[in-house]
Amino acid sequence: MIAGGTDAAVRMKEGKWRPEVWINIKGIHELRYISEKDGAIHIGPLTTHTDIIRHTLLQKKADVLVEAAREVGAIQMQNMGTIGGNIGTASPAGDTIPALYVLGAVFELRSITSVRLVPIEEFFIGPGKTILKKKEMITNIIIPPQKANEIGIFQKLGPRKAQSISIVNVAISLLMGKDRKCLGGKIAFGAVAPTIIRAKKCEALLTQQPLTDEIIQNIGKIAWKEVMPITDGRATAAYRRDMASSLLERGLYRLLRRWENDGEK
Amino acid sequence: MMRKILFTVNDAPCSITCHPAKTLLDVLREDLDLTASKECCGKGECGSCSVLVNNEVVCSCLILVGQVENQNVITCEGVGLTPHLDHIQESFIEEGATQCGYCTPGIIVSAKAFLNDVDYVPSVDEIKTALGGNLCRCTGYSKIIQAIKTAAEKNLKELGTV
Ligand SMILES: Cc1cc2nc3c(=O)[nH]c(=O)nc-3n(C[C@H](O)[C@H](O)[C@H](O)COP(=O)(O)OP(=O)(O)OC[C@H]3O[C@@H](n4cnc5c(N)ncnc54)[C@H](O)[C@@H]3O)c2cc1C
Ligand code: FES
Ligand code: FES
Repeated sequence: MIAGGTDAAVRMKEGKWRPEVWINIKGIHELRYISEKDGAIHIGPLTTHTDIIRHTLLQKKADVLVEAAREVGAIQMQNMGTIGGNIGTASPAGDTIPALYVLGAVFELRSITSVRLVPIEEFFIGPGKTILKKKEMITNIIIPPQKANEIGIFQKLGPRKAQSISIVNVAISLLMGKDRKCLGGKIAFGAVAPTIIRAKKCEALLTQQPLTDEIIQNIGKIAWKEVMPITDGRATAAYRRDMASSLLERGLYRLLRRWENDGEK
Repeated sequence: MMRKILFTVNDAPCSITCHPAKTLLDVLREDLDLTASKECCGKGECGSCSVLVNNEVVCSCLILVGQVENQNVITCEGVGLTPHLDHIQESFIEEGATQCGYCTPGIIVSAKAFLNDVDYVPSVDEIKTALGGNLCRCTGYSKIIQAIKTAAEKNLKELGTV
Protein backbone atom coordinates (compact mmCIF):
# COMPACT_ATOMS: atom_id res chain seq x y z
CA MET A 1 0.00 0.00 0.00
CA ILE A 2 1.37 3.38 -0.89
CA ALA A 3 -0.01 6.70 0.36
CA GLY A 4 2.34 9.69 0.17
CA GLY A 5 5.20 7.35 -0.67
CA THR A 6 7.76 9.20 1.43
CA ASP A 7 8.64 6.01 3.28
CA ALA A 8 7.42 3.42 0.79
CA ALA A 9 9.19 4.85 -2.29
CA VAL A 10 12.43 5.35 -0.36
CA ARG A 11 12.33 1.72 0.77
CA MET A 12 11.58 0.62 -2.79
CA LYS A 13 14.55 2.58 -4.12
CA GLU A 14 16.84 1.18 -1.46
CA GLY A 15 15.77 -2.28 -2.57
CA LYS A 16 14.31 -3.06 0.87
CA TRP A 17 10.75 -3.44 -0.31
CA ARG A 18 9.75 -4.53 -3.79
CA PRO A 19 6.10 -5.61 -3.71
CA GLU A 20 4.78 -7.17 -6.90
CA VAL A 21 1.72 -4.98 -6.72
CA TRP A 22 1.44 -1.48 -5.35
CA ILE A 23 -1.96 -0.39 -4.14
CA ASN A 24 -2.10 3.35 -4.52
CA ILE A 25 -4.45 4.68 -1.85
CA LYS A 26 -3.38 8.32 -2.25
CA GLY A 27 -6.38 9.08 -4.46
CA ILE A 28 -9.05 7.92 -1.98
CA HIS A 29 -10.46 11.33 -1.07
CA GLU A 30 -12.98 9.79 1.32
CA LEU A 31 -10.06 8.93 3.62
CA ARG A 32 -8.71 12.48 3.76
CA TYR A 33 -10.75 14.36 6.33
CA ILE A 34 -10.68 16.05 9.73
CA SER A 35 -13.99 16.35 11.56
CA GLU A 36 -15.55 16.43 15.00
CA LYS A 37 -18.60 14.33 15.70
CA ASP A 38 -20.18 12.73 18.76
CA GLY A 39 -17.59 14.36 21.01
CA ALA A 40 -14.57 12.91 19.16
CA ILE A 41 -12.14 14.16 16.54
CA HIS A 42 -11.86 11.95 13.47
CA ILE A 43 -8.82 12.14 11.21
CA GLY A 44 -8.68 10.22 7.94
CA PRO A 45 -5.41 8.33 7.35
CA LEU A 46 -4.75 10.18 4.10
CA THR A 47 -4.74 13.52 5.87
CA THR A 48 -1.35 15.11 5.16
CA HIS A 49 0.88 16.77 7.74
CA THR A 50 0.14 20.08 6.00
CA ASP A 51 -3.62 19.48 6.41
CA ILE A 52 -3.06 18.92 10.14
CA ILE A 53 -0.88 22.01 10.59
CA ARG A 54 -3.46 24.26 8.91
CA HIS A 55 -6.55 22.94 10.65
CA THR A 56 -8.06 25.30 13.22
CA LEU A 57 -10.00 22.56 15.06
CA LEU A 58 -6.78 20.62 15.65
CA GLN A 59 -4.85 23.76 16.60
CA LYS A 60 -7.36 24.24 19.38
CA LYS A 61 -8.24 20.71 20.42
CA ALA A 62 -5.16 18.65 19.48
CA ASP A 63 -2.37 21.22 19.76
CA VAL A 64 0.36 18.66 20.39
CA LEU A 65 -0.43 16.82 17.14
CA VAL A 66 -0.20 20.06 15.16
CA GLU A 67 3.20 20.78 16.71
CA ALA A 68 4.40 17.27 15.88
CA ALA A 69 3.23 17.48 12.26
CA ARG A 70 5.10 20.77 11.94
CA GLU A 71 8.32 18.96 12.88
CA VAL A 72 8.03 16.33 10.15
CA GLY A 73 10.66 16.72 7.40
CA ALA A 74 10.30 19.95 5.47
CA ILE A 75 7.48 21.43 3.38
CA GLN A 76 7.71 18.79 0.65
CA MET A 77 7.44 15.93 3.15
CA GLN A 78 4.59 17.69 4.97
CA ASN A 79 2.68 18.05 1.69
CA MET A 80 3.27 14.45 0.64
CA GLY A 81 3.42 12.49 3.91
CA THR A 82 0.21 11.31 5.53
CA ILE A 83 -0.65 10.53 9.13
CA GLY A 84 -1.69 7.00 8.11
CA GLY A 85 1.73 6.51 6.53
CA ASN A 86 3.50 7.82 9.62
CA ILE A 87 1.60 5.28 11.73
CA GLY A 88 1.97 2.52 9.12
CA THR A 89 5.75 2.90 9.01
CA ALA A 90 5.75 2.39 12.79
CA SER A 91 9.16 3.96 13.22
CA PRO A 92 10.17 4.39 16.89
CA ALA A 93 11.15 7.91 15.81
CA GLY A 94 7.90 8.78 13.98
CA ASP A 95 6.96 12.27 15.08
CA THR A 96 3.16 12.16 15.12
CA ILE A 97 3.01 8.93 17.14
CA PRO A 98 4.01 10.29 20.62
CA ALA A 99 1.48 13.08 20.10
CA LEU A 100 -1.21 10.50 19.32
CA TYR A 101 -0.17 8.58 22.46
CA VAL A 102 -0.71 11.51 24.81
CA LEU A 103 -3.98 12.36 23.10
CA GLY A 104 -5.17 8.79 23.70
CA ALA A 105 -5.83 7.96 20.04
CA VAL A 106 -7.80 4.92 18.92
CA PHE A 107 -7.32 3.48 15.43
CA GLU A 108 -10.07 2.03 13.30
CA LEU A 109 -8.72 -0.93 11.33
CA ARG A 110 -10.78 -2.32 8.50
CA SER A 111 -10.65 -5.13 6.04
CA ILE A 112 -13.35 -5.88 3.51
CA THR A 113 -15.08 -8.11 6.05
CA SER A 114 -14.13 -6.70 9.47
CA VAL A 115 -13.82 -3.54 11.53
CA ARG A 116 -12.06 -3.22 14.87
CA LEU A 117 -11.05 -0.37 17.14
CA VAL A 118 -7.59 -0.59 18.70
CA PRO A 119 -6.15 1.79 21.30
CA ILE A 120 -2.77 3.16 20.21
CA GLU A 121 -0.98 1.48 23.13
CA GLU A 122 -1.89 -1.94 21.72
CA PHE A 123 -1.07 -1.17 18.09
CA PHE A 124 2.72 -1.03 17.89
CA ILE A 125 4.79 -4.09 18.76
CA GLY A 126 8.29 -3.18 17.60
CA PRO A 127 10.24 -1.11 15.08
CA GLY A 128 8.21 -1.32 11.85
CA LYS A 129 5.88 -3.85 13.46
CA THR A 130 2.20 -3.45 14.26
CA ILE A 131 -0.76 -5.71 14.89
CA LEU A 132 -2.22 -4.77 11.50
CA LYS A 133 -3.29 -7.94 9.65
CA LYS A 134 -2.44 -8.56 6.02
CA LYS A 135 -5.68 -7.38 4.50
CA GLU A 136 -6.40 -4.60 6.97
CA MET A 137 -5.78 -0.90 6.70
CA ILE A 138 -6.12 2.08 9.02
CA THR A 139 -9.32 3.87 8.08
CA ASN A 140 -9.82 6.36 10.92
CA ILE A 141 -7.84 7.92 13.74
CA ILE A 142 -10.09 8.90 16.62
CA ILE A 143 -8.99 11.22 19.40
CA PRO A 144 -10.84 12.77 22.34
CA PRO A 145 -10.69 16.56 21.93
CA GLN A 146 -8.57 18.42 24.48
CA LYS A 147 -10.48 20.43 27.07
CA ALA A 148 -10.03 24.17 27.48
CA ASN A 149 -7.58 23.56 30.35
CA GLU A 150 -5.67 20.82 28.53
CA ILE A 151 -2.45 21.95 26.88
CA GLY A 152 0.16 20.05 24.95
CA ILE A 153 3.61 20.47 23.51
CA PHE A 154 5.94 18.45 21.24
CA GLN A 155 9.70 18.74 21.56
CA LYS A 156 12.15 17.20 19.12
CA LEU A 157 15.88 16.93 18.86
CA GLY A 158 17.30 16.19 15.43
CA PRO A 159 20.66 16.79 13.80
CA ARG A 160 19.26 19.90 12.13
CA LYS A 161 16.08 21.90 12.15
CA ALA A 162 14.40 20.67 8.98
CA GLN A 163 14.31 17.26 7.35
CA SER A 164 15.77 15.25 10.17
CA ILE A 165 14.75 12.09 11.92
CA SER A 166 14.31 12.50 15.67
CA ILE A 167 17.23 11.53 17.89
CA VAL A 168 14.76 11.88 20.75
CA ASN A 169 11.31 13.41 20.84
CA VAL A 170 8.69 13.88 23.52
CA ALA A 171 5.01 14.77 23.56
CA ILE A 172 3.33 16.12 26.69
CA SER A 173 -0.29 16.84 27.41
CA LEU A 174 -1.36 18.30 30.76
CA LEU A 175 -4.74 18.93 32.33
CA MET A 176 -4.16 22.08 34.35
CA GLY A 177 -5.88 23.33 37.48
CA LYS A 178 -5.32 26.57 39.33
CA ASP A 179 -1.89 28.18 39.05
CA ARG A 180 0.75 25.52 38.58
CA LYS A 181 -1.39 22.64 39.83
CA CYS A 182 -1.60 19.83 37.33
CA LEU A 183 -4.66 17.56 37.52
CA GLY A 184 -3.41 14.88 35.19
CA GLY A 185 -1.08 14.42 32.29
CA LYS A 186 0.56 12.12 29.81
CA ILE A 187 4.13 12.01 28.56
CA ALA A 188 5.32 9.90 25.60
CA PHE A 189 8.88 9.56 24.34
CA GLY A 190 10.00 8.60 20.83
CA ALA A 191 13.30 7.04 19.72
CA VAL A 192 14.26 5.81 23.18
CA ALA A 193 12.80 2.29 22.96
CA PRO A 194 11.63 -0.21 20.28
CA THR A 195 8.29 1.59 20.18
CA ILE A 196 7.05 4.89 21.53
CA ILE A 197 6.76 4.65 25.33
CA ARG A 198 4.70 6.38 27.98
CA ALA A 199 6.82 7.69 30.86
CA LYS A 200 4.48 6.53 33.61
CA LYS A 201 6.82 7.23 36.52
CA CYS A 202 7.23 10.82 35.34
CA GLU A 203 3.48 11.08 34.83
CA ALA A 204 2.86 9.96 38.42
CA LEU A 205 4.88 12.92 39.69
CA LEU A 206 2.96 15.48 37.66
CA THR A 207 -0.04 15.60 39.96
CA GLN A 208 1.54 15.26 43.39
CA GLN A 209 2.46 18.89 43.97
CA PRO A 210 2.24 22.11 41.98
CA LEU A 211 4.76 22.04 39.13
CA THR A 212 7.48 24.19 40.65
CA ASP A 213 10.86 24.48 38.95
CA GLU A 214 12.21 21.98 41.45
CA ILE A 215 9.54 19.37 40.68
CA ILE A 216 10.12 19.82 36.96
CA GLN A 217 13.82 19.18 37.41
CA ASN A 218 13.00 16.07 39.42
CA ILE A 219 10.70 14.79 36.71
CA GLY A 220 13.55 15.31 34.22
CA LYS A 221 15.82 13.18 36.40
CA ILE A 222 13.22 10.40 36.59
CA ALA A 223 12.95 10.47 32.79
CA TRP A 224 16.69 9.84 32.54
CA LYS A 225 16.14 6.55 34.38
CA GLU A 226 12.85 5.64 32.78
CA VAL A 227 13.82 5.70 29.08
CA MET A 228 15.58 2.69 27.53
CA PRO A 229 17.49 3.97 24.53
CA ILE A 230 20.05 2.17 22.40
CA THR A 231 23.18 3.37 20.68
CA ASP A 232 22.88 3.53 16.90
CA GLY A 233 24.23 5.52 13.97
CA ARG A 234 22.34 8.61 15.05
CA ALA A 235 23.32 8.85 18.74
CA THR A 236 24.61 6.98 21.75
CA ALA A 237 22.33 5.68 24.46
CA ALA A 238 23.88 8.00 27.06
CA TYR A 239 23.31 11.05 24.89
CA ARG A 240 19.72 10.00 24.28
CA ARG A 241 19.11 9.68 28.03
CA ASP A 242 20.53 13.14 28.70
CA MET A 243 18.49 14.63 25.88
CA ALA A 244 15.27 12.86 26.90
CA SER A 245 15.67 14.37 30.34
CA SER A 246 16.42 17.86 29.00
CA LEU A 247 13.69 17.84 26.37
CA LEU A 248 11.09 16.86 28.95
CA GLU A 249 12.26 19.55 31.36
CA ARG A 250 12.29 22.17 28.62
CA GLY A 251 8.88 21.04 27.37
CA LEU A 252 7.34 21.33 30.83
CA TYR A 253 8.85 24.79 31.40
CA ARG A 254 7.58 26.02 28.04
CA LEU A 255 4.17 24.53 28.60
CA LEU A 256 3.82 26.17 32.00
CA ARG A 257 4.97 29.48 30.62
CA ARG A 258 2.23 29.22 27.98
CA TRP A 259 -0.30 28.31 30.65
CA GLU A 260 0.69 31.27 32.81
CA ASN A 261 0.64 33.69 29.88
CA ASP A 262 -2.39 32.48 27.93
CA GLY A 263 -4.48 30.46 30.40
CA GLU A 264 -7.39 28.45 29.04
CA LYS A 265 -7.74 28.04 25.29
CA MET B 1 2.95 -3.92 -16.73
CA MET B 2 2.71 -0.80 -18.90
CA ARG B 3 -0.27 1.45 -18.57
CA LYS B 4 -1.52 4.64 -20.18
CA ILE B 5 -1.54 7.53 -17.70
CA LEU B 6 -3.11 10.93 -18.29
CA PHE B 7 -2.19 14.07 -16.39
CA THR B 8 -1.45 17.74 -16.97
CA VAL B 9 2.06 19.14 -17.11
CA ASN B 10 2.59 22.88 -17.21
CA ASP B 11 -1.04 23.36 -18.22
CA ALA B 12 -0.82 21.01 -21.20
CA PRO B 13 -2.61 17.66 -21.15
CA CYS B 14 -0.22 14.77 -21.50
CA SER B 15 -0.51 11.05 -21.98
CA ILE B 16 2.28 8.60 -21.43
CA THR B 17 2.49 4.84 -21.50
CA CYS B 18 4.85 3.35 -18.96
CA HIS B 19 5.04 1.34 -15.76
CA PRO B 20 2.92 3.19 -13.15
CA ALA B 21 5.66 2.71 -10.54
CA LYS B 22 8.15 4.79 -12.55
CA THR B 23 8.92 7.97 -10.64
CA LEU B 24 7.39 11.21 -11.82
CA LEU B 25 10.91 12.63 -12.00
CA ASP B 26 12.06 9.95 -14.45
CA VAL B 27 8.95 10.44 -16.55
CA LEU B 28 9.46 14.20 -16.70
CA ARG B 29 13.10 13.87 -17.69
CA GLU B 30 13.06 10.77 -19.90
CA ASP B 31 9.62 10.67 -21.46
CA LEU B 32 8.70 14.36 -21.56
CA ASP B 33 12.14 15.91 -22.02
CA LEU B 34 11.51 18.36 -19.17
CA THR B 35 14.97 18.33 -17.65
CA ALA B 36 14.81 21.27 -15.23
CA SER B 37 13.94 18.96 -12.32
CA LYS B 38 17.09 17.14 -11.22
CA GLU B 39 17.79 13.94 -9.36
CA CYS B 40 20.35 14.35 -6.62
CA CYS B 41 19.63 12.29 -3.48
CA GLY B 42 16.61 10.47 -4.91
CA LYS B 43 15.26 10.17 -1.34
CA GLY B 44 13.33 13.30 -0.58
CA GLU B 45 16.15 15.03 1.24
CA CYS B 46 17.55 17.66 -1.11
CA GLY B 47 14.61 19.11 -3.05
CA SER B 48 16.39 19.37 -6.42
CA CYS B 49 13.50 17.39 -7.95
CA SER B 50 10.78 19.66 -6.49
CA VAL B 51 7.67 20.19 -8.60
CA LEU B 52 4.16 21.39 -7.84
CA VAL B 53 1.33 18.88 -7.80
CA ASN B 54 -2.00 20.67 -7.51
CA ASN B 55 -0.03 23.77 -6.45
CA GLU B 56 1.74 22.08 -3.53
CA VAL B 57 5.48 21.54 -3.62
CA VAL B 58 6.51 17.87 -3.53
CA CYS B 59 9.55 15.74 -4.40
CA SER B 60 9.06 14.15 -7.82
CA CYS B 61 11.73 11.54 -7.03
CA LEU B 62 9.35 9.90 -4.52
CA ILE B 63 6.09 10.19 -6.43
CA LEU B 64 5.14 7.32 -8.69
CA VAL B 65 3.64 8.51 -11.95
CA GLY B 66 0.54 6.39 -11.37
CA GLN B 67 -0.12 8.64 -8.36
CA VAL B 68 -0.45 11.82 -10.44
CA GLU B 69 -3.08 10.44 -12.79
CA ASN B 70 -5.49 13.30 -13.59
CA GLN B 71 -3.47 15.69 -11.41
CA ASN B 72 -1.89 18.96 -12.35
CA VAL B 73 1.92 19.09 -12.37
CA ILE B 74 4.00 22.25 -12.72
CA THR B 75 7.77 22.10 -13.18
CA CYS B 76 10.30 24.90 -13.22
CA GLU B 77 9.73 25.16 -16.99
CA GLY B 78 6.09 25.89 -16.17
CA VAL B 79 7.02 28.65 -13.71
CA GLY B 80 8.63 30.54 -16.62
CA LEU B 81 10.84 30.20 -19.68
CA THR B 82 12.88 32.89 -21.42
CA PRO B 83 11.73 35.44 -22.44
CA HIS B 84 8.71 35.09 -20.14
CA LEU B 85 10.46 34.60 -16.83
CA ASP B 86 8.70 34.73 -13.50
CA HIS B 87 9.76 37.43 -11.02
CA ILE B 88 11.53 34.74 -9.03
CA GLN B 89 13.65 33.69 -11.97
CA GLU B 90 14.45 37.32 -12.91
CA SER B 91 15.47 38.01 -9.32
CA PHE B 92 17.71 34.93 -9.20
CA ILE B 93 19.60 36.31 -12.20
CA GLU B 94 19.76 39.87 -10.84
CA GLU B 95 20.93 38.79 -7.40
CA GLY B 96 23.36 36.17 -8.67
CA ALA B 97 21.56 33.51 -6.66
CA THR B 98 22.74 30.58 -8.74
CA GLN B 99 26.17 29.05 -9.20
CA CYS B 100 26.34 25.50 -10.55
CA GLY B 101 22.56 25.69 -10.92
CA TYR B 102 21.77 22.13 -9.92
CA CYS B 103 19.54 23.12 -7.04
CA THR B 104 18.06 26.18 -8.72
CA PRO B 105 15.00 24.75 -10.55
CA GLY B 106 13.87 23.00 -7.36
CA ILE B 107 14.37 26.12 -5.30
CA ILE B 108 12.46 28.22 -7.81
CA VAL B 109 9.54 25.80 -7.64
CA SER B 110 9.57 25.87 -3.81
CA ALA B 111 9.78 29.65 -3.83
CA LYS B 112 6.87 29.82 -6.27
CA ALA B 113 4.65 27.72 -4.00
CA PHE B 114 5.67 29.83 -1.02
CA LEU B 115 5.15 33.23 -2.68
CA ASN B 116 1.77 32.12 -4.08
CA ASP B 117 0.61 31.99 -0.46
CA VAL B 118 1.98 35.31 0.86
CA ASP B 119 0.94 38.86 0.09
CA TYR B 120 3.78 40.64 1.89
CA VAL B 121 7.57 40.60 1.83
CA PRO B 122 8.43 37.55 3.94
CA SER B 123 11.06 37.57 6.68
CA VAL B 124 14.37 35.73 6.37
CA ASP B 125 13.14 33.13 8.87
CA GLU B 126 9.98 32.49 6.91
CA ILE B 127 11.99 32.03 3.72
CA LYS B 128 14.36 29.66 5.49
CA THR B 129 11.44 27.55 6.71
CA ALA B 130 9.91 27.50 3.23
CA LEU B 131 13.24 26.33 1.78
CA GLY B 132 14.02 23.84 4.56
CA GLY B 133 13.68 20.96 2.09
CA ASN B 134 15.99 22.42 -0.56
CA LEU B 135 19.75 22.08 -0.26
CA CYS B 136 22.34 24.15 -2.12
CA ARG B 137 26.00 23.21 -1.98
CA CYS B 138 27.31 26.38 -3.67
CA THR B 139 25.75 29.68 -2.79
CA GLY B 140 25.59 29.74 1.00
CA TYR B 141 21.90 30.68 0.63
CA SER B 142 22.12 34.42 1.33
CA LYS B 143 21.71 35.41 -2.29
CA ILE B 144 18.90 32.92 -2.74
CA ILE B 145 17.08 34.43 0.24
CA GLN B 146 17.68 37.94 -1.11
CA ALA B 147 16.38 36.91 -4.54
CA ILE B 148 13.16 35.59 -3.02
CA LYS B 149 12.69 38.84 -1.11
CA THR B 150 13.27 40.82 -4.29
CA ALA B 151 10.76 38.65 -6.14
CA ALA B 152 8.19 39.18 -3.37
CA GLU B 153 8.69 42.95 -3.70
CA LYS B 154 8.19 42.73 -7.46
CA ASN B 155 5.03 40.70 -7.02
CA LEU B 156 3.65 43.29 -4.60
CA LYS B 157 4.57 46.18 -6.89
CA GLU B 158 2.75 44.50 -9.71
CA LEU B 159 -0.33 44.10 -7.52
CA GLY B 160 -0.07 47.80 -6.66
CA THR B 161 0.10 47.16 -2.92
CA VAL B 162 3.47 48.87 -2.49
C1 LIG C 1 13.51 13.28 3.63
C2 LIG C 1 12.54 12.68 4.60
C3 LIG C 1 12.36 13.26 5.85
C4 LIG C 1 11.47 12.71 6.77
N1 LIG C 1 11.34 13.31 7.99
C5 LIG C 1 10.49 12.77 8.89
C6 LIG C 1 10.35 13.37 10.18
O1 LIG C 1 10.99 14.38 10.49
N2 LIG C 1 9.51 12.79 11.07
C7 LIG C 1 8.77 11.67 10.76
O2 LIG C 1 8.01 11.20 11.58
N3 LIG C 1 8.88 11.10 9.55
C8 LIG C 1 9.72 11.61 8.60
N4 LIG C 1 9.83 11.01 7.39
C9 LIG C 1 9.08 9.79 7.11
C10 LIG C 1 7.76 9.98 6.37
O3 LIG C 1 7.73 11.17 5.62
C11 LIG C 1 6.54 9.99 7.29
O4 LIG C 1 6.54 8.83 8.06
C12 LIG C 1 5.21 10.09 6.53
O5 LIG C 1 4.18 10.46 7.40
C13 LIG C 1 4.85 8.80 5.82
O6 LIG C 1 3.61 8.99 5.15
P1 LIG C 1 3.39 8.52 3.64
O7 LIG C 1 1.97 8.83 3.31
O8 LIG C 1 4.40 9.09 2.74
O9 LIG C 1 3.63 6.96 3.79
P2 LIG C 1 3.91 5.85 2.69
O10 LIG C 1 5.34 5.86 2.37
O11 LIG C 1 2.95 5.94 1.57
O12 LIG C 1 3.56 4.55 3.55
C14 LIG C 1 4.34 4.17 4.66
C15 LIG C 1 3.89 2.81 5.18
O13 LIG C 1 2.62 2.90 5.79
C16 LIG C 1 1.70 2.03 5.15
N5 LIG C 1 0.42 2.73 5.12
C17 LIG C 1 0.16 3.94 4.55
N6 LIG C 1 -1.14 4.29 4.74
C18 LIG C 1 -1.69 3.28 5.46
C19 LIG C 1 -3.03 3.03 5.97
N7 LIG C 1 -4.03 3.90 5.79
N8 LIG C 1 -3.24 1.88 6.64
C20 LIG C 1 -2.24 0.98 6.85
N9 LIG C 1 -0.97 1.16 6.39
C21 LIG C 1 -0.70 2.29 5.70
C22 LIG C 1 2.29 1.73 3.80
O14 LIG C 1 1.88 0.49 3.30
C23 LIG C 1 3.77 1.76 4.10
O15 LIG C 1 4.19 0.55 4.65
C24 LIG C 1 10.72 11.55 6.42
C25 LIG C 1 10.86 10.98 5.16
C26 LIG C 1 11.77 11.52 4.24
C27 LIG C 1 11.91 10.89 2.89
S1 FES D 1 16.32 14.13 -5.66
FE1 FES D 1 14.35 14.28 -4.87
S2 FES D 1 14.73 15.21 -2.98
FE2 FES D 1 16.73 14.85 -3.67
S1 FES E 1 23.93 26.53 -7.03
FE1 FES E 1 25.06 24.72 -6.92
S2 FES E 1 23.87 23.53 -5.55
FE2 FES E 1 22.93 25.41 -5.48
